[in-house]
Amino acid sequence: MEKKSVSVTLEHVTKKFKDVKGKADVIAVNDSHFVIEPGELVTLLGPSGCGKTTTLRMIAGFELPTEGKIYIGNEEVTMLPPNKRDTATMFQSYGLFPHMTVFDNVAYGLRLRKVAQEEITKRVNETLDLVGLASYGDRAPSKLSGGQQQRVALARSLIVTPSVLLLDEPLSNLDALLREQMRVEIRKIQKELGITAVYVTHDRVEAMSLSDRVVVMKDGYVRQIGSPSEIYEDPNSRFVAGFVGKAAFFPVKVMKHDKKTWVCQLGEKEVLVERAATDVEVGSEAVLMARPESLRVVESGTGKIEGKVRMNVYLGHSLEAFINTSFGEVLVQIDDPHAKKVFKEGEDVSIDFTADRVRLLNRNDA
Amino acid sequence: MFTKKRILQFCAAALIFLLADFWMYSTLSSNFRSYEDQRNFNEIELFAQTVPDERTEQSFATWMPTVKDIIPGSRALYLTFDEVSFDFKPESGSETNLSLFNAFRNTPNFQKAMESVYYLEPMRLASTYKADYSLDPDTNSFDEISSQVYFVPVVDETGYQVSGAVMILVPTSTATGFNNLLRTLFIVAAVFFLGIMLVLMFTRDPMTGFMVLALFGIVLVFIAYPLLEAVRLSFMKNGTFSLQTWKESLSPTYLIALWGSLRLGVLTATISTLVGYMFAFLIERTSFRQKKLMTTLATMPVISPPFSLSLSIILLFGNNGLISKQLLNLNTSIYGLGGLTIVQVIGMFPIAFMTISGVLRQIDSTVEDASLDLSATRWQTFKSITLPLSAPGILSAWLLVFTNSLADFANPLLLSGDYRVLSTEAYMLVTGRSNLGAGSALSFILLMPTLTAFLIQRNWVSKKSFVTVTGKPSTNLTELTNKPVRTVLEVGAWVFIGFIASLYLTIVAGCFVVNWGIDYSFTLANWGEALARGWTSIRDTVTLAAIATPIAGLLAMLSAMLIVRKKFPGKRLLEMLIMTPYAIPGTLIGISYVLAFNKQPLLLVGTGAIIVINYIIRELPVGLENGITALHQIDPAIEESAADLGADVPTVFRTIVLPLIRPAFLSSMSYTFVRSMTAVSAIIFLISARWNHLTVLIFNFSENLRFGLASVLSTILIVIVLSVWGLMQVVVRDDKLTQKTISAR
Repeated sequence: MEKKSVSVTLEHVTKKFKDVKGKADVIAVNDSHFVIEPGELVTLLGPSGCGKTTTLRMIAGFELPTEGKIYIGNEEVTMLPPNKRDTATMFQSYGLFPHMTVFDNVAYGLRLRKVAQEEITKRVNETLDLVGLASYGDRAPSKLSGGQQQRVALARSLIVTPSVLLLDEPLSNLDALLREQMRVEIRKIQKELGITAVYVTHDRVEAMSLSDRVVVMKDGYVRQIGSPSEIYEDPNSRFVAGFVGKAAFFPVKVMKHDKKTWVCQLGEKEVLVERAATDVEVGSEAVLMARPESLRVVESGTGKIEGKVRMNVYLGHSLEAFINTSFGEVLVQIDDPHAKKVFKEGEDVSIDFTADRVRLLNRNDA
Repeated sequence: MFTKKRILQFCAAALIFLLADFWMYSTLSSNFRSYEDQRNFNEIELFAQTVPDERTEQSFATWMPTVKDIIPGSRALYLTFDEVSFDFKPESGSETNLSLFNAFRNTPNFQKAMESVYYLEPMRLASTYKADYSLDPDTNSFDEISSQVYFVPVVDETGYQVSGAVMILVPTSTATGFNNLLRTLFIVAAVFFLGIMLVLMFTRDPMTGFMVLALFGIVLVFIAYPLLEAVRLSFMKNGTFSLQTWKESLSPTYLIALWGSLRLGVLTATISTLVGYMFAFLIERTSFRQKKLMTTLATMPVISPPFSLSLSIILLFGNNGLISKQLLNLNTSIYGLGGLTIVQVIGMFPIAFMTISGVLRQIDSTVEDASLDLSATRWQTFKSITLPLSAPGILSAWLLVFTNSLADFANPLLLSGDYRVLSTEAYMLVTGRSNLGAGSALSFILLMPTLTAFLIQRNWVSKKSFVTVTGKPSTNLTELTNKPVRTVLEVGAWVFIGFIASLYLTIVAGCFVVNWGIDYSFTLANWGEALARGWTSIRDTVTLAAIATPIAGLLAMLSAMLIVRKKFPGKRLLEMLIMTPYAIPGTLIGISYVLAFNKQPLLLVGTGAIIVINYIIRELPVGLENGITALHQIDPAIEESAADLGADVPTVFRTIVLPLIRPAFLSSMSYTFVRSMTAVSAIIFLISARWNHLTVLIFNFSENLRFGLASVLSTILIVIVLSVWGLMQVVVRDDKLTQKTISAR
């Protein structure tokens, strides 16, 4: 399965659909423009209806972009039908051929390519081995469990050594445990083969744990592209911050900015922030974004925001404290709670943070 | 896709092709014309040399018409040269020529021609003239036709002096026939080329494009064109626009037939719905035991061959019927409304039964439980819950039976007697008086109520349904009937089924009787004679149906895939056109086929092909519906996976779609076969001496009171149809496994 990895390029791709009445246009993907590097696994992440599946289907060739171009490697494939593209898709519902055995399912792509029979047998068995289904060749797909079916689908996609592997929420039909296992497996195989992969999901944990980079989408727009830690730690907008993890937002006014530090007005208090999105301006309204694990609960009056503990939820490795403040309810995560002081429900407390653990975001950017 | 550059390229290429096409056409056409002219000239000069030796008026009069032997359709007029007035005078020959000559003799063209003839030079006039050929009638034509005019000299005995001239008219129509064919060919070539280029340049998936294009071609040529032809012809009289045909068709004579059709339809629909409801209720809503058996028996008449029920009714209750004459010695006639209603109800109540059971099955028993729980009695529950919930089904069933009754052709043909209905009336007009225009007009009148009922059923009633599929089928059924009521229903159903069974047994009995009604002694002679006279028909019918079956099945599944899975402009139109034959009476289809395909460029009448095409077109709608339903249950990701792995559209169809919708494919094939074997209404117009149809032969035997032969052929037909149907049931049942796995995912 030696094959050179290729890149996938989307050049100002826009997709419009007609609405149900067939009159107005619905914009599913709006001017998407990014490059997926060779051998990279990129996740398209977003809420349903954000255009991530449409983007994937355009790369596969099931949909045509209304505008823009798509390249696989250096070849433009915008108009090519799916069967002429060197991509393989794993569908949410797997799309296994119910009238064929597992072996025939996996062999399908090779048969179309007129590979010799012995070669087919050899490669199918190798691939089934790779996904851990060596002895299941004679079964009908309907006689397999969900996880096994999913692996058949993976084997069927991989055997034709596609340049690009496209995965459309492949794990959504599996239970939580199996999902975790398969996630690891897919990532392992993808890295082993060095294959370029695009993975669509609405599950942020899946996106974070699998990807080299994540493309966060909303309403057809690409909102941010970055490594999992970038989009988690340094989201460029309130939407991305909220979508990829839990976060508290406090309205602030930006007062001053010198080399490293931003001085902001938070309620009555002045706070210092060391990280900010590029579009934050001095003198404007902004939001302060804080992850639960970046916040600390301290004695009343000693922190930056005053509040009262409403509820403590004990999770073992951590404890989640829900604190009522004048900015609404704020979640604070206390790791290793036994080593720390825990305030009781109903107690007056204060929330504190350090300048390098919070981030300023443009207020207008939902 | 539609970039400016491509559109320009397309227009340029189209322009070049069209110019080339037109140039070739006009060159060929003018070459042909000049060749034709040259040939005519030669022929006419030869004709002039056959001048009779004896130059009397008598001999000229016999000589003139012989011009037709040389050039078909031409006319000749002999003019003598009068040396006194130095002029030509008409002497004998065609009146057509005479009137033209008199009208134009003083025009410069004619003067010049006569001058030329005087100098012994034959001449053709440069322009064509309209001549009225009805003045001198023969087999060819009666209209005004533009003609070429020739003048050839006739020399006197000396051989140097002109003694007269012959004026010859040659109609240009013989040339136009060929010209029309040529033009059609080039237009077809242009359409083909443009279509193929359009697909190649503007679609991403040419295969799909070509398939859609081909489908459109088929549908336009074999559905839209014949129907339009029928409409056009009903407005024509002697080649011009006229409302005459429609006036005749709407005269009281035919309005009585319309009234007859409607009355029969209402009666049949009402009784069939009642009977159908009884059966459906018994099977779906009671704990009746033999549900499976009863369902099978009650649906049998649907596939029963036409004429068979009428035949056995005649055998039992006809003028010499076993029951009416031999047992009861009655003198009432079964022919007419009464007999028709009986056979139609038996033949069509299964439609009502199946429609209503479909609805009753979906009614969740818990709503009836709820009603009983609120202390309604069982009768009240039935009246206020079950019946209203099944109302859309009842209406739907009524309308479907009504449509079928109106379109029914076979039963009235045998049984109507003096009672008149439109479908057979149209047939009589076409076969008896060869008045195709009036025949099609009548069929269109028949189409109005049929189409109305069909559209109401499809667009309104079927959407009115209250029934919602809950997805939780209730396992236990609440019995709404008490024992006596159920017994009554059961006995009623068995009696009805028994009656039907006895009708079929009568046909079987009819095979072994010397002369039904007169001599009931046992014989096998009928078999010998029926097989001897009917063997070719049986063979032809089976052959043609067997050819049509796979084509119709494949075409239906392919269209279903294109319509469900592909996006292309005109999809709704295509679907509508394919569905059209389902809604229109067979009589109309038959007549429109005769009208459309009895001339160039598609001269198909008299061939087996037209019968096969007719089978395919008529059964395509049901196959398409089957295919669409089946495809809707299949996850599109399955096909997308295949395409993604490198399969092109035909491969996806062959390796994935077709195996997955195999049950729908097989059942529409068996349906096509059975329906083709039992077709009458359209086929009766299309059969020929070479290709006869078994059903038509049965009709002919029945009409000639050869009931023994008719019974044998009916029995054979029933056996063939039943065995194919039964085989299909077995095969499809084995397929249930695949069906389940598909819908489970």
